[in-house]
This record gives sequence, structure tokens and C-alpha cells, in this order.
Amino acid sequence: MGRGATTNSIPEIENCKFMLVIGSNTTEAHPVLALRMKKAVRKGATLVVADPRKIWLTKLAKRHLQLRPGSDVWLLNAIMHVILEEGLQDEDYIREYTEDLDAVREVVARYTPEQAEQVTGVPAADIVATAREYAGERKAAIFYTLGITEHACAIDNIWSLSNLVLMTGHLGYESTGLNALRGQNNVQGLNDAGANPTYFPGYQTIDEENRRKFSEAWGVPIPERPGYRLDQMMSGLHDGRVRALYLVGENPAHTEPNAHHVEEGLGKLEFVVAQDLFLNETSRAHANVVFPASSFAEKDGTFTNTERRVNRVRKAVPCPGEAREDWRIVVDLARALGARWPEYRTSEDVWNEFADLSPNWSGIRYDRIEEVGLQWPCTDREHPGSPYLYADRPARASGRGKFYPVEYKPPIEQPDSEFPFVLSTGRTLYHYNSATMTMREPGVLDKQEDPFVEINPEDAVALGIREGDWVRLVSRRGDLEARAAIGERVFPGLVWMALHFAQAKVNWLTHDVGDPLIGTPEYKVCAVRLEPVAP
Amino acid sequence: MVKFSLDGKTVSAPEGELLVYAAARHGVFIPTLCHDEKLDPYGGCRMCVVDVEGSPRPLPACATRVTAGLAVSTNSSVPQYRKTLTEMLLSEHLNANPGGRPNELLDMAEELGAAAPLILPDAKREPYEDRNRLMGYDPDACILCNRCVRYTQEVMQCSALSLEGRGPTARIVPTHGHSWLDTECELCGGCLSTCPTGAIYEKFHEGAPPQHERSLDQVKSTCTFCGVGCQIDLHVDPATKRIVKVTSDPGYVSNEGNLCVKGRFAFNFVHHPDRLTQPLVRGEDGELHPTSWDDALRVAAEGLRGVKERHGPQAIGVLASARLTMEENFLLQKLARTALETHSIHSCEAT
Ligand code: SF4
Ligand code: SF4
Ligand code: SF4
Ligand code: FES
Repeated sequence: MGRGATTNSIPEIENCKFMLVIGSNTTEAHPVLALRMKKAVRKGATLVVADPRKIWLTKLAKRHLQLRPGSDVWLLNAIMHVILEEGLQDEDYIREYTEDLDAVREVVARYTPEQAEQVTGVPAADIVATAREYAGERKAAIFYTLGITEHACAIDNIWSLSNLVLMTGHLGYESTGLNALRGQNNVQGLNDAGANPTYFPGYQTIDEENRRKFSEAWGVPIPERPGYRLDQMMSGLHDGRVRALYLVGENPAHTEPNAHHVEEGLGKLEFVVAQDLFLNETSRAHANVVFPASSFAEKDGTFTNTERRVNRVRKAVPCPGEAREDWRIVVDLARALGARWPEYRTSEDVWNEFADLSPNWSGIRYDRIEEVGLQWPCTDREHPGSPYLYADRPARASGRGKFYPVEYKPPIEQPDSEFPFVLSTGRTLYHYNSATMTMREPGVLDKQEDPFVEINPEDAVALGIREGDWVRLVSRRGDLEARAAIGERVFPGLVWMALHFAQAKVNWLTHDVGDPLIGTPEYKVCAVRLEPVAP
Repeated sequence: MVKFSLDGKTVSAPEGELLVYAAARHGVFIPTLCHDEKLDPYGGCRMCVVDVEGSPRPLPACATRVTAGLAVSTNSSVPQYRKTLTEMLLSEHLNANPGGRPNELLDMAEELGAAAPLILPDAKREPYEDRNRLMGYDPDACILCNRCVRYTQEVMQCSALSLEGRGPTARIVPTHGHSWLDTECELCGGCLSTCPTGAIYEKFHEGAPPQHERSLDQVKSTCTFCGVGCQIDLHVDPATKRIVKVTSDPGYVSNEGNLCVKGRFAFNFVHHPDRLTQPLVRGEDGELHPTSWDDALRVAAEGLRGVKERHGPQAIGVLASARLTMEENFLLQKLARTALETHSIHSCEAT
């Protein structure tokens, strides 16, 4: 829908009247944002949770749509089917602000709630009720997160949600919208700042005109050839397209799917520069040079949160030993490479260069965000920032939101007799990504130290596995051991593991066939078998 | 808006607003103890009582709502009442400082010139041990205001804490558990943050001197652990230059002073002995060796330049990080697009 960001703000959540949380284990992945959802429910909002697992929020939910992993598109199409069939769509909005509804109408006509029940496992009556409630409430918001984007059909899911939002006109005012909850602290800012092969800072496309703009600003020609996405870089390790990597705070030997394969590829590189707080699997084995870097508490700068708010980060303590602020290291390296950059004395100098070049940020300046962060778009110094998007109309060139029909595609790897379980993965509260930071917090680890796998009691009994037993998970690509956490959070046939544990890398098991358009790997679903481990 | 009278003056406020806020906006500050703006009105401790015309007893300002024509007096019999109340609480407040957190009861006592007239003979309550390493609870500092329990029920909805017993033996305990770790508790520290006396405290500050927290330097920043972007105050020990505690303020817009376990307690990685403190370069022997910055930068630049010359700029990839600041990611993409001459910059956490 025009922009890759959440449409609405965190404080608005508590005034929602209806919330659909789909594929977001919010209390664990975004705990403090979840407090607003809890508050909304206390204030009378209806909560519907769509998730394969019985996550914590289902306790507060009026309804839990416990869909089979990877069947999101089916569910969403069926919800739209009901809306269109019963005439619950917002005709005025559709006429004024959207185009191509008919294409979607044609497709979803085939997705009846009754058939949806067969594919998704969600009772047809629940689908109908959810469609009516969502369409009938003005302050109705949708929340989703990696749960839904880390599928091979990631883009399909987002389009489906976008169709649903456009058709009901749930956009452009408070306590509504389509809210993608960004995982990492500054993943929004990472993209906003242009650390992406497909656009310059501020989502400016890499075309002739912008190449000229940036080339003038930076005083050097800007390359024409398109860059590689992460998945292309990873495959490039193997076929020799990529020979060197500069890894800043990254540990692909852990975080990438099909990790065994990635590790092999890293071994083929001619040169690796790593910059991080700690040595990790990748730098220990493969780096030629390691730069000691800074934690968030050792530097000035900004993070942009999931509601597009640019918040200040401030230096509280010095870097240990000779470690340096990351931005200074990048400047030093640029100089060593012979680049003629202006002198950056402070992080504010860097920010100003970014804001001068990026229209939607040009009104955000350090002196304005001393106390409270501002939300982009913020186009000039007078602009108050944008708590919610699309107040006027969807941000496409035509000014109209486009409907994209989406057909269901089954998950690429289906369970079979050899690998009868579906493994789904995600985040837990107590850890952060590859956990190089959180694994060093003993007080926090008391809650969750060993890698664990959630198994339904029925499956556990059949396999003779008891709570706390070590079990081996085997996929087509690797195996690992984890402790059994037996309970109703998963249904029979489904097992679930957290992504974070270094000693049992879930990414050894998963595969790297990703969404062809955005290159997000399919972390979420793969087929495994379980074997009890003799004590 | 309705009109009401406050200490003889006619003022206005939205109908139904809590008196304690309406008064504050008109410059009359009514002290509270069991009240927390994040929690439902409670009116348990009676520290905030005011005289209201027509009411036989003083009413708590934190639980009384403004109506048209209400006549409120904050200065008649109230100050003496408040002092007596404070003295009663002090007579059971055997340990004013289990962990160096601010103590609002002592602040109040100082302001009112109140001191414990005696220590009640049965004031000592059974101590409480918990095997979690983050939060301690000292019943001898607890005034049973119930803020912690209400936070768990209303904000966190974790139902991890309960009030146990009555009268002199009453205390706060983990619900159905022997330890907080066996309850639904997620170690968010919210109950700790709302506790007005410091009876719930950071265990790693057990035995800290009184007012320890107020002696620390505070730096406002943004949590590094997830996209909510909670605003935090990093507390730095001025002597050691280390972060020793993290808090947040109810006035911070996105998180209203709430935090999760990571934001509040996972700050030790910053000072962990495993942190890299010197640049390293891989030697002939295949091992990483410490070196100078100049040397490391030279080796890095030569290595990258070499690959670019041999295979073209397309052979170099840059992986940025969501953990870095905006400014750092901006410079990294500039480095890729200018010095390295490639658009190949991405991240493992691009979603
Ligand atoms: S620390 Fe948080 S989760 Fe634990 S009891 Fe207190 S409020 Fe509940
Ligand atoms: S522990 Fe603190 S918040 Fe809880 S009842 Fe005691 S004094 Fe009040
Ligand atoms: S405190 Fe918790 S919820 Fe808030 S930003 Fe940090 S990790 Fe996210
Ligand atoms: S603060 Fe009002 S009764 Fe306790």
C-alpha cells in the first residue's frame, strides 16, 4: 500500500474497538506494545487472534482462529469473500480511493468459508463472524509481524491484508490501519536510511534522476548496476559472484536459513571485514579483520521505531578499550578507501545530510526531537509529524490504493511420511535475534536457558517423550537437539521453536527458498521428524 | 467542563475528571501514595483525602470525580490527618531501604515532619526469599498499598502477585508459586517500578545506600531490543561509568513508562568481559591477533580494494544492521554506493 511502514501509532491502539492480530505473538515480540492491546481489551475492544499457536493473547481474545501454518491467504480471502457477499465493504472509499476491486472480487468468490475450513482448520462460522465484526467497526485495526512476512508467500500475505483494509476503508484516521510490527529495534530506520539495494535513503528509487541527485550531493558517480539483495548475496557466495563481505553487527552463519550451506559459502570468500560487539560464529571463523564496535549506550544517534517515530539514542558510557562508535568506524574506513567525505563531527552532522536528501524526513532535526520523537513523513520544520498515514489518500502515484488479487499457494515444503511434523519458528520474549546480547544476561536466562521445542501432548505420548526430555529434530538439511516443552500451545502435527538459540541453530533445519520478490527466506515452515534422545 | 470550588476559589474541569488531576491543574498539589495514573482509581491509603462539603468523611482525591458544584477543601483538617497516617505507616516500616530505590513514604514524612512514634511490637513480617536474580521483595518495607498487585492485574495482566494474609502478617507473594519464576511473571519489572517505597527492588542493588538511585547520572535514550522503541533512562554510576539500572518515565509517549524484561534488565551485555576492545587482524597462522586501528583499517581497505580490482565492485557485499543507528546505516549505504561503488547493501533483518 504505497509505503513499507505501520500506518498508525502505538498510543492509538488503546482506543481501537476491534483488533485482528494475525501472525504476531505480540506479548513476546513487542511486549510493551501488547500492553496497549491489553488496555484496549480492558476498555471493551474485541480482539481476534489468528495464529497456529495458542499464544498468550488468545487468553484475552474473543476468538482464536487457529489456522494451519502457511494458510493465511486462504483465511484472508475467505474473510473478504464474506465481506463482499454480504455487502459489508465501504463503497464510498472504494470508489474514491481505490482501483481494481473487481480483480479481487473474482478471485475471492472462489474462497468460501466452508472450503476455508477444510484448508485452514478454522471453523467457517468463526470466519463469518470475524468478517462481520471487522467490517462493521470503524476503529478496527490489523496487526501483523514477521509471523506473516517470513513465509515464502510473504508478499502475498501483505497484499491480502492490504486488500482487506482497502475494501473496508480502514485507513487514514486514528485507531485503525494496517500495522506491520517491525521486529528489530531499528529495522524501520535501517530501511528508511537506505541500507537496501533497491532504493536510496528515504525510499527514493534508483533511477536516472535520483542517481544524478545523489551523485551531485556526494561528488562521485553512482553505479548503474543494481545491487544484490541478501538472498542473492548468500547464493553469490557459492557461485563466486560475491568474493568479499563487510558485515556490521551481522552473523549470517547463525541468522540465515539453511545455515550449514551459508557457512560453507562463507568459507569460499576471499575477504571478510566484521564489525561487532562480540566475536561470533561468522567472524571467528571467517573474518580477516574485526573492528571492535559500540553498543547503543556508547553513542549518539537515532532509532526509528515501528510507528515511524525517530527517537534519540544518547551516549551514556564510553566504549570499552579501543572500541569505537560504529559511525566513526565507517567514516574511518571510507577515508582509508580514499573517499573524500565531508568532516562529520557528530552524529547530528550525519543526520542532517540524510534529512537534507530525504524529503519525508527533512523536517526532523535533533533540536525538535530532544524530548519526544517525531513520526515521518515530516516534510518541513513546521510539520508536526504524522501519527497516521493516508489521511488524504493512499500514497501511490495515482492517489489510489490498488487491489492485487492473491491466490493461495501451499507452503513449499509439506510434511510427508519421513518428515511428518511441521516446524514453525519465531521469537520469544527473553531473547533478541541471535542472542549474542541476551545470552549474556544470567538473570534473564533463569526463565529460559535451554533451547526448547513445543510439542502437543498427543504427539508427545505417541513418541514417548516427556516434559523436559531432550529430543532430536531432523529436517532434510540438518538436525539439532532441544528440550521438549509439552502443551496445548501447538496443535498435533505442529512443533515450534525459537530462532535465538546458538547451540541449537534452528536455521540448520529451515530452508532458504524465499519470496521471489522481496527475498525474505521461508523461516517459518519446514518439515521435520522428532526422535527421542536416549538420556 | 463544569465549575466547582477548590479551597474557596471557583475553578473548572471536565466533568468526571479525578480530583487529584483537576486540583493539580489549578496549582493545588495533593500528595498521593497508593495512586498511580496507570492504574484504576483505588483510594486505599487515604493519604490524599480532602474535605468535601456534604460528605461526612474526608474523601480520597485520587478516587473522587469532579461534578458540578463540588466544594473541596484541602487545607482544613487534612494536613494533621495526613501526618498521623504517615506516622502510622512509619511505625510498621522497619526497613526503609532494601535496595536503594526512592522511597515516597520517607519523602512524605520529611515534608510533613513526621516520625514513627513507636515501632509496633508485631511489625516484623516473615522475610521472603525468591530464587529469581532480578527482583527482591522486603515485607518490612512494604506498606501494602497494593500498587504492585494492581499493576500485575490491570496493566501486565500477569496475575503473578497476590496479597496474602491480613493485618500484621500480610505481605505480597507470588500467586500459586514458590518463586516469581514459577508464576506467569515475565520479569518486566512493572510491579517494581510502581512500588512507592522500594519494597520491590532490583536484587542486584540489595544493600545499596539510601537514595542510591537518586545519586546516579541519568541519560535518556531508546531501548535497543525491539521495534516498540521504548524510551528509557539509563542510570550510570558516576564513579565506574557503568550502567547499573534502567528505568522509564510514565510521561514517555510510546511506552508510558512501561518496559519489558529486556529493556529493564538486559543491560549487562554492554559491560560484558567478552566485548571486543581491540581491532583484530588474521595473521599468517590463521588466527586473529590484536592490532592498531591504523593497521586494521589499512588491511581492511587493501583487502576490499583488492577484491574490487580483481572481480569488480559487484563482488563486494555490505550487510548493515538493525541494531545500528539511522546515521550509521546511512553512512554504510553511502560507503557502499560511493567508496565501494555497489548498491549491494542489505541486512539479515530487513523485515
Ligand atoms: S515483574 Fe512484571 S510480569 Fe512479573 S509480577 Fe511484576 S508486573 Fe508481573
Ligand atoms: S510491595 Fe510496594 S507496591 Fe506492593 S504493596 Fe508493598 S509497598 Fe505497595
Ligand atoms: S523495553 Fe521491551 S518492548 Fe520496549 S523496546 Fe525494549 S524490548 Fe521492546
Ligand atoms: S493516594 Fe489516594 S487513597 Fe491512596
